[in-house]
Order: sequence, then C-alpha cells, then structure tokens
Amino acid sequence: MDYFLQQLINSLGWGSLNALMAAGYTMTFGIIGLVNFAHGEVMMVGALTAFWVMVFLQLPFWLGCLAALLGSIVVGLLIERIAFKPLRGAGMISLFITSLAASFGIRTLFIMLFTDRVKPFPVPDFLKGVLLLGNLILFKKTILIVLLTLFFCGLVIYFVKYTKTGAAMRAMSYDPEIAGTMGVPTERIIVVVFAMASFLAGLAAIFWGIKFGSVRCSMGVIMVVNAFIASVLGGIGNVSGAIVAGYIIGIGETLFVAYLPDHLVGLRPLFVWIVLFVLLIFKPSGLFRPNIK
Amino acid sequence: MDASVPRNKAQDPILRLQGLSKRFGGLEAVSGFTMTLERGELKGLIGPNGAGKSTLFHLISGLYKPTKGNFFLEKNELTGQTPDKIVAKGIARTFQTVKLLENSSVLESMRTAFFMSYGYKPWDLFFHTKRYRRQEEAFKEKAHEYLSLLGVQDLMDMNGNELAYGLQRKVSIAMTLCLNPKILLLDEPMAGLTHTEKNELTETILRLKERFELSIILVEHDMKVIMNLCETIAVMNQGRLIAEGSGSEIRNNAQVVEAYLGTSDV
Repeated sequence: MDYFLQQLINSLGWGSLNALMAAGYTMTFGIIGLVNFAHGEVMMVGALTAFWVMVFLQLPFWLGCLAALLGSIVVGLLIERIAFKPLRGAGMISLFITSLAASFGIRTLFIMLFTDRVKPFPVPDFLKGVLLLGNLILFKKTILIVLLTLFFCGLVIYFVKYTKTGAAMRAMSYDPEIAGTMGVPTERIIVVVFAMASFLAGLAAIFWGIKFGSVRCSMGVIMVVNAFIASVLGGIGNVSGAIVAGYIIGIGETLFVAYLPDHLVGLRPLFVWIVLFVLLIFKPSGLFRPNIK
Repeated sequence: MDASVPRNKAQDPILRLQGLSKRFGGLEAVSGFTMTLERGELKGLIGPNGAGKSTLFHLISGLYKPTKGNFFLEKNELTGQTPDKIVAKGIARTFQTVKLLENSSVLESMRTAFFMSYGYKPWDLFFHTKRYRRQEEAFKEKAHEYLSLLGVQDLMDMNGNELAYGLQRKVSIAMTLCLNPKILLLDEPMAGLTHTEKNELTETILRLKERFELSIILVEHDMKVIMNLCETIAVMNQGRLIAEGSGSEIRNNAQVVEAYLGTSDV
C-alpha cells in the first residue's frame, strides 16, 4: 500500500506537466480546430531559453523562469502568425500538416544549433529537500509544481468560464463565423488564446526543468503526444476536461511503469497509446463534453 | 451652402455596393454587383437557389473578402474589414441556419452579442463590484426588452438549442438588435415557418424597422412575403443583379421570369 501511495505522490508532478500541456493544446483546438503538434516545441523553446539565461548568462533562477515564460509566449505567437494565420478558413488537415511541419522544423533547427544533449537546469536549494509524511516521502518540488499547476489551471478555467474573452472563446469554439458577426474580434481572441496556451507551456517547461533537473531539444515530442491524448480523453476543446485527463494520463503512466517488471520499463510510452486505443473503442468523444467549457 | 449639406447627406444611400465580385476558383459566385440601399428602405433580395444571395451577405458582413469591387456604409469604405469591425460600424446579419450556443441559455447566447459593449474587467467580475452588477442589470434589461419585441421574453432561461425553429429564429433577430445596427441583413428569416408565424414575423420586422430606424435587406423565397413587405425588390441570378424595382415591375420583367422559369425555347 505504501508503495502504491508513494508512486501516486511521485506521479503528481508528471500529471501536472501533462495537465498544463493538455489545457493549452485543447484551447487552440477549441477555437480554430487546430491539432497543434508544435505545442511541444513551444514548451521546449521556453525550457531552452531558461537554460540559456541561467547557465550561459549566469542569471538567477527567477529570471530563468521569466525567460521561459516569455520565450514560450513569443515562439507560440510567432508560430501562430507565420504558420497558422495564413491558413484561416482552411480545413483541419491543412492545419494539422502545417503544425507537424512547424514542430519538425523548430525541433530540427534547435537540435542542429544546440545538439540534443541533455542540458542542466539549475534548481535552487529551497526546492531540493523532502518532507516526510509517515512512511511517505514528499518532494518539495513536487508540492510546488502541483500547487502552482492547480492555481494556474484554476485561473484559466475561471477566465474561460466567466470573463468576456472567455465568452468570446466559447462562441468561437461553437462557430467562428457567427461569433465574428456578433461583434467578437476573432483575430484578437486567437492571439489571446495562443498567448495563454503558450504561457501554460512555458510553465510546463519550468516544471519539467525543476522535476528532472535537465532539459533537451527533443523534450517536446514526448510531451505533445501525452497532451494530445489527454485532450482527446478530456473531450477535445474542454479545458477543465483536459486538465483532469492530463492528471489521469500522468498518474496512470507513472503507476503503469511502477508495476512493470524491471526489464519491461522501456514500454513506458506504450501506456498513452493503450489509453487512446481503449478510448477510441469505447468513448471516442472523451470522458467530458467537447467544446470549450 | 450650409443648407445643402444636410440635405445631400439625407439623400445619400446608407449602403452602396460597387461592382462587388467574389470568385471561388473557376466560379464567380457574385459578379460585378452594384446596388444601393436608401436610408430606411426595406429591400427584398430574391433569386433562384445558388444565385449568390448568401455569398453577397457574406461579403457585406466581412466573412468573405471581395475579389473585386468595394462597398460603403454612408461615407465609410468597409471593403476588406473584419466581421467584428463591420458589426461595430452598424451592419448586423442573421443566418439561414440559426445557431445559438450549444447547451446554453438564450440569455447566454445573447451575451455574445453584447461582447463589444461589455465594459467591466475580470476583477469586477471576481469581486462582483458595483460596475459589474450595474452592467449585468443593464444587459439583462436590454436582453429582456429585445426579446419582448419579438414576443419571446419568456424563453430567456431556456436552452436555446432546444427551442422550436421559429423561436430560435426570433431569438437570433433579437440578438442582432443588441448590436445597435443601422442596417439589418436578414437571410431567409421565414424559411420553415408556418403561415401564421410568417405573418407575425412580417409585422414584427416592420415594427422593428420603425422603432430602430433600420434599413433592411431581406433575402426570402416566399414571394408573398416579399411582395407584402418590401418597397423595392432586387433580383439576382448567377451572381448578377438582373432587375430592381417595385413588386409589379419585377413581376412583369422578362429577365426575371426567365431566371425563375427558364426560356420557352429550350
């Protein structure tokens, strides 16, 4: 039982990363029908920016975090402007292929420039210790990651549900044309949504660095597959659904590995595909209602 | 000279379409379309299926960008502007297929239409400040008023998507009123309505036109409705304006008859 609880606690950090990425992923799908495979690269660029600021420029941790958020937001908005904006009104397949191209392009460029070697992500001392809860070990960094994730996810849900921009997002997810003719400035809303999604990816980048102590140029690939499957599981376009599903996927994956025999641990990536497989057979619309909610 | 300026202004058409064209690949859906709408005019726009009426509405509301030509609201050129800017300038429209927000109340759907006039910030909402409460009150009052004008004020809290078609249509017209329009583009508002409902809606449209000093373009297939309601009728065929005039002029126009019935020597 202790082993199970310990694994469950350990999995919360990874669950948080999945939740943050899935939330951003599902938002862009909700408003422009975009399956954004470049979202993983948005996170990666944030992580690499933080690495550059903290390791090369030797600046403090908090500046690194700020740089990660800015880096992600800038690259997210650039991708939107350069790759997706010219395709407004085009079908889902065109957008999908473009996002794949953007993802490959950015990743390959970064690997060419900086190689795919693991890069250190300095974690400050106050995040390094553990707390003991009976027989269970709680990592301080995990506590911070979970609390901040829940806080920012709550903020995003509140924003989508109650603000006027949120109302505009919901109207757009239902029908962008009608939203436009009802006075919703659709282009501005798209920019806001990409900025929000990229901000969440930037947070995920910081948390990845804190959790693993390192970052690399190919980190986005793993993340985006999980985010994609979590957003489908959560009912695509549904932000709170994606957050819950992100935790389900992250926790499930960690527990899956925890109970695998040691020589099969390499099968870790299989977990999400099994989830997707089962989902598509039994509940293809996801656990929760699709569309931005 | 001073006197002549307002007089000219009053005579200016409120909407001027100049050679509007829209090409999709090899098909010119709207082709060199020139027409004016006078202030306070109710113009019927008719034509066979596929004549380009909806495309024309899409052009005027900014959903499509014209391939050629331009259009003006009063003195302002609106060609190439985005839908939200065009709405803000005063051209509102309805759609052939009504779409109210899914799983949301009628009131929530109407909220979208109030988007531009919202003045409160997220923190007003969070703390339920006076400003938020005042605007919510005003919004609900307006929504109630506009829905009452269409006789559907009791539906405010119902799920919009579960309403009967005719009622959804009325709600969607009430929504356009929230946008403070000068010009209303109504895309087949009577389709699928019963005879009584059509009569009712005809009266309602006339009432709204008076009350809000609207100029209206109405696309409609029911000729009886068009003849009863519209001062002038424009006929469109294959993307072009082929005739314009009063009901009787249109009825006796050879080109119009041909467009609807085909030529006798085929």
